[in-house]
Amino acid sequence: MISAEVRPGRAAALARVPAFWVVAALLVAGGVRMTQIAGRFATVYPVATVTAVLLFALLAVPFWLVVSELDFLEREPIELLVLAFAWGGLVATSVSIPASTAGDNLIAKLGSPELAAGWGAALAGPAVEEIAKTLGVVVIVLIARPQINSVLDGVVYGAMVGLGFQIAEDIVFAVGAVALAGQGDQIQPVIATFLLRGFVSGVWSHTLFGALAGAGIGYLVVRRDRGLARRIGVALLALLGAWASHALWNSPLLIDGLGNGALALLAVLVLKGLPPLLLILWLVRHAHDREADYYVGHLATLRDSELITESEMKVLGSGSARASARRLAGESAGHAGRHAVRRLQRAQARLAVELSRSSSGETLETCEQIRIQRKVLRGLGHPEAIAGPRSWRHTASTIITTVVAIAVLWVALSALGGA
Amino acid sequence: MARITGRELKNLVGTFGVVATLAGLAFGLPAVDRAFSAERSLRAGVPVDVGAGVTVVPPSGATLDVTGTRPGDTMGSALFRLGAVQYRIAVRPFDGDLETAASRLRQRITGTPGYQVTGSQLAVGTVDGLDGLQGGYTAPGRGGRYAVFVGDGLTIEVTISGNDLDLGRTLPQIEASTRTLRVDGSGR
Repeated sequence: MISAEVRPGRAAALARVPAFWVVAALLVAGGVRMTQIAGRFATVYPVATVTAVLLFALLAVPFWLVVSELDFLEREPIELLVLAFAWGGLVATSVSIPASTAGDNLIAKLGSPELAAGWGAALAGPAVEEIAKTLGVVVIVLIARPQINSVLDGVVYGAMVGLGFQIAEDIVFAVGAVALAGQGDQIQPVIATFLLRGFVSGVWSHTLFGALAGAGIGYLVVRRDRGLARRIGVALLALLGAWASHALWNSPLLIDGLGNGALALLAVLVLKGLPPLLLILWLVRHAHDREADYYVGHLATLRDSELITESEMKVLGSGSARASARRLAGESAGHAGRHAVRRLQRAQARLAVELSRSSSGETLETCEQIRIQRKVLRGLGHPEAIAGPRSWRHTASTIITTVVAIAVLWVALSALGGA
Repeated sequence: MARITGRELKNLVGTFGVVATLAGLAFGLPAVDRAFSAERSLRAGVPVDVGAGVTVVPPSGATLDVTGTRPGDTMGSALFRLGAVQYRIAVRPFDGDLETAASRLRQRITGTPGYQVTGSQLAVGTVDGLDGLQGGYTAPGRGGRYAVFVGDGLTIEVTISGNDLDLGRTLPQIEASTRTLRVDGSGR
């Protein structure tokens, strides 16, 4: 069944929406505040500040690529992704700094300084930060409602808000570590923070929590087939889940429970970080499959094997199958084949979205692009973008990549004193 | 005159909700925080836990500011107030020597715009045998003293700040309190 939840609409004319100007003003205010903080850092620790900005900006690149690639079939407009990132890095951070401090103080005042020392970071920070970040997805809805067509859109925007927050927070923490070290404008504390927050705890950080809360907003907005109370309940549950994941991560639980050493630290990271990671991966998979069924269903109505074959329809709905088809084309027709399959898949995805919008003018142009790529592939002797069998080289490459990732994590943990 | 459509009204209400929530977090929560007093009275002569197994007997008449007090297992801090004078102690793991610890504290003090270290450092000690160094600094509109102690894998940093008149009146009591600093090793 084709679900209405993934039906896209036209791009909103941003400037005509009242919320846009309010959000613009908030971004400017947040930008001024964060520039003041960065300016203070740069005055006292110029080398460390520049190093931190460069390192964490580099770290943002793979995260950005992965997040923006999550929704292959119906890609989010770049301006909205930038807006989400900026909300996280400028507005959510500016608001969270005084609010988290106040929350921490209230825990000390109404509870005790001991409670604040142990649990302040787990209770105050997540409560404030998850709300401030989730509002970033809400403003995307307010500004460009037609662009939220599936739960997956909420996941992507939520993750992007979280990424912006994560990068800004990492830079502040890195330069804070330089100040705390009291050794002047040195970059060693920046490197240590980069290893700790970038590699060791980078995967299960704000990007993940933001994605979970964003999924709730996506559900609230698109699942009109469900009752309002249920949709609000799911959105609140997702926000609570983001808060709980964040609180568990920041909590002092298991700090002394598994002994010393890199292995013990790795076990703690996995125990505290894996549940939300698995939950989000399951959610993304579920939302992705649902969206893929909807769009591939539109392509199926064409019954034109020149535009898409039965086998290509199976491939288009799965990220791993699309990658496998590109690999197979690369093996049989070289770089040109891989490139042509990539272009064919992008054009097919675009056609699916256009068909769902019934925009016939754009459809003609996209059909022409597909035919051009089909002709290129025929010329290369690889006419169909089908997934190949799982090759031993791919399996070996996956194993080696996993081993290298664990080795990097191990080295980072050891360098930070875990071993 | 242009009428506001239902969709625009919904958009405005939603936007107002976002702004109100942000204002609540950025200004409301700090206002609630300010509404509650941070100061707690202390029993005379009873040691206070600073964190990481470090304790200190606060000066008589001092109050504990809970917003600057975080006694953790491996690190911590305590903030006392004597009128307008702030007496802050911070403890964290450290594997260097006393000179290095003092140098790092001085770097952090002078890293704040307008702050300058004055005069030379003097050797100090605690009743329990911890060796330390102390010195002075100036800041816009106020002066201060600092002291550093190293022991049992920890650095204990003491900073005292206030105007010259208040400092002159309270320093003897605070220095007496600093000499009661003690590491019992339970936090290591």
